[in-house]
Amino acid sequence: MLFNSLSFVLFLVVVLALYYSKFLNWTSKKGMLLLASYIFYGLWNPPLVALLWISTMVDWTAGKKLSVEENERKRKMWLILSMVVNLGFLAFFKYRDFLLDNFTTVVNTYGYGYQSQSMDIILPMGISFYTFQTMSYTIDMYKRKTQPAKTFLDFALYVTFFPQLVAGPIVRAQDLITQFYEEKKATVNQFIWGIFLLTIGLFQKVVMADTLLSGTADKVFGSDKLLHGVDAWIGTLAFSGQIFFDFAGYSTCAIGIALMLGIILPDNFKYPYASLGFSDLWKRWHITLSSWLRDYLYIPLGGNRYGILRLYVALMVTMLLGGLWHGAAWTFIVWGGLHGTYLILERLQRRYLPFKITKWNGIFLAFITFSCVNITWVFFRAREFDTAWNMIKSMFYMQIDGEKILQSFSILKVCIVVGLLFLCHWIMRNTSMKEVSLKIPLWILGILWAVMLFLIAIAQGSGEQFIYFQF
Amino acid sequence: MKLKQSFIIAILLAIISIITWEFYWRSQGNYPTLNDERSLWANTRSNVDKATKDDVVILGASRAFFDIQLQTWESITGRMPIQLASTGSSPLPTFHDIVNNTNFTGTILIGVTPGLFFSTTNTQAFPWNRPQTKVDYYKKRTYAQRLNYQLSVPLQKNFVFMSADEEEWSDDIDLKSLLRVIKMGNRTGGPVDPPFYYFGDIDSNSNMRMTKKTVTDTAFANTIIKVWHFFGAGAPPPDKESTMKFFLKDLKKFKTRGGNVVLMRCPSSGGVRAGENKGLPRNEYWDDLVKQANVKAYHFEDYESLKDLRCPEESHLSGEDADYYTKELIKLMKADNAIVNL
Repeated sequence: MLFNSLSFVLFLVVVLALYYSKFLNWTSKKGMLLLASYIFYGLWNPPLVALLWISTMVDWTAGKKLSVEENERKRKMWLILSMVVNLGFLAFFKYRDFLLDNFTTVVNTYGYGYQSQSMDIILPMGISFYTFQTMSYTIDMYKRKTQPAKTFLDFALYVTFFPQLVAGPIVRAQDLITQFYEEKKATVNQFIWGIFLLTIGLFQKVVMADTLLSGTADKVFGSDKLLHGVDAWIGTLAFSGQIFFDFAGYSTCAIGIALMLGIILPDNFKYPYASLGFSDLWKRWHITLSSWLRDYLYIPLGGNRYGILRLYVALMVTMLLGGLWHGAAWTFIVWGGLHGTYLILERLQRRYLPFKITKWNGIFLAFITFSCVNITWVFFRAREFDTAWNMIKSMFYMQIDGEKILQSFSILKVCIVVGLLFLCHWIMRNTSMKEVSLKIPLWILGILWAVMLFLIAIAQGSGEQFIYFQF
Repeated sequence: MKLKQSFIIAILLAIISIITWEFYWRSQGNYPTLNDERSLWANTRSNVDKATKDDVVILGASRAFFDIQLQTWESITGRMPIQLASTGSSPLPTFHDIVNNTNFTGTILIGVTPGLFFSTTNTQAFPWNRPQTKVDYYKKRTYAQRLNYQLSVPLQKNFVFMSADEEEWSDDIDLKSLLRVIKMGNRTGGPVDPPFYYFGDIDSNSNMRMTKKTVTDTAFANTIIKVWHFFGAGAPPPDKESTMKFFLKDLKKFKTRGGNVVLMRCPSSGGVRAGENKGLPRNEYWDDLVKQANVKAYHFEDYESLKDLRCPEESHLSGEDADYYTKELIKLMKADNAIVNL
């Protein structure tokens, strides 16, 4: 079920009515939320709810055993069981064809003439999100960093909580399960702020991403022509804006919906396009994934504890796997590799060419960072290397007679939207929406809110799926 | 309680704005209609899975869509056909889907618009990709999508601002369409599409009927004619060999399992008809198709009762004439025993 759909509106109204009804106690309300979460997921593909059940059962059992088991070898076995099941799901559903294709290519270079049979397996929505979330519980239990969930219901709801089930934020057990222990009820202000966040999220998705930017990005990246430099840049900028609005929109909706239930979810985006460098970027973009990768991959790989070379290797491996997490294709690995390279270059710059960031050079640095991020988006969005390479050539004017496929109005529209996006991020980078909303007069907030509601209504949207659902 | 006040202001202003927006578009002559979209098509397609030998499925492009009036058909035969024609489309992908993915053994009435039927078997080309997208959507649609559609129908039927056809008409009023019509020169240097306005209303049975404005307003009808001429001039050459081969293979399979196929060539007139006669001459295309298919076939030019029908925008019949065409076609098919339940 998509947040930007009529069925979700009906679903949310029913869930809220039951949640705030007086005839259910807290345990029943949690049971209702769990059932609602399965319906939320099952309306997309009912049989795949079984994967959620298996993941829940395995990690609940592993967590329970890890909480009492003292034998280190047995503890490790329980951890491995959880890893095998969760990563096994990912490998089978997400990476099977990719691995098989590459295996076939390698084997055939030696002349074996092997032909692989694609299984055309459906990718379960949000599998990368909920497997990472549930694995974090088992790993934290193994490291004795968190307490076991008090009841199976609390744990199952942690794995399945519908606002963040399919596209995050990826929440740690200690941050979410503990919220289920005592009855939660949003205050009036929390509830209204939740509706405001839901409005902002839908506005980002329906109006900004789908209505204003997706058409241009799709046209440019769907073209099989060698493009003019302006068209290549505008298409990339459009995608840059689209993916931010799409993904941040989902997270904002999720946080808002959870808040309407009195549940607090962590921020996932903090104005990333005004980042000053790439370390800063990853503290602002998809924060819950980058902190997951930091805690469960980068630090176990050694982090910065074993010298500079090991640090660079850990950074690069983390980013390459982070790229692969997004999709089973070499283009995503290159995307991750570019980010890894940026992070390493930034560390080298800090070491050998340090300089102070002031308010004068800050915006310039943010612009440079944003431009470099845009280059990585080319590999993220392009389905084929040829497309990506042609785009890069066009962007750097290695293509002299590239074709113009965009009309002037599309270019103007993207420049205005993405320009405002960048400036808005720069202005907001050290503050928050909440702080700003408290400072501006209530009638201005009301008018801005009304404009967003009106634009959502007239944009309608065709219920386009969120980009990150495929990851 | 600042947020509460802001919320009340927002809700009030949003409601006032939407009501104003709704009334503005109604004052411009717009009225609430269903959208011709893949969800509606998929709903109709699901009827094929439970159809019997007595049922009739209609395939084709917009002419089969506009010219067969389902209620008229039902009033004569007692059974409503399943309308799966699709604007701007080759019928081959849908025919292929029904032949290969269903057990249907009834009658399939295929409208042959020569420029589309013989256009291509390239899956990425527009006339193929468009119906194929609908077929794929039907196969993959989720329960949530079905529910969304059911919930959207009453809204579409009652609010003008909910109209957003997949055809992307020049007079659509959703935000994306309103932005799409803004032009600032012609940077690409390519041909500029003439405006293509909404000219048919669809109902929940997938019955399409030409709007009254198209019939009575000649200037408006001329804008549609311009579009046909534009598409006709820019159309790639037909691919008779591969389209015929593809069709005949599926036809053989369908006939073998006891299915019945009837071909029809709906009326066209004026410049469109002249262009068709020139680019896809009847003897070379229609006659050869009928001969090789060896099925009952009805070309409007062959019947006194049909040959003088005039299309207001050169390609589709008015609602009234479509009622007449439907009645006459049924009469002809009855006489030929072309359809089992007639």
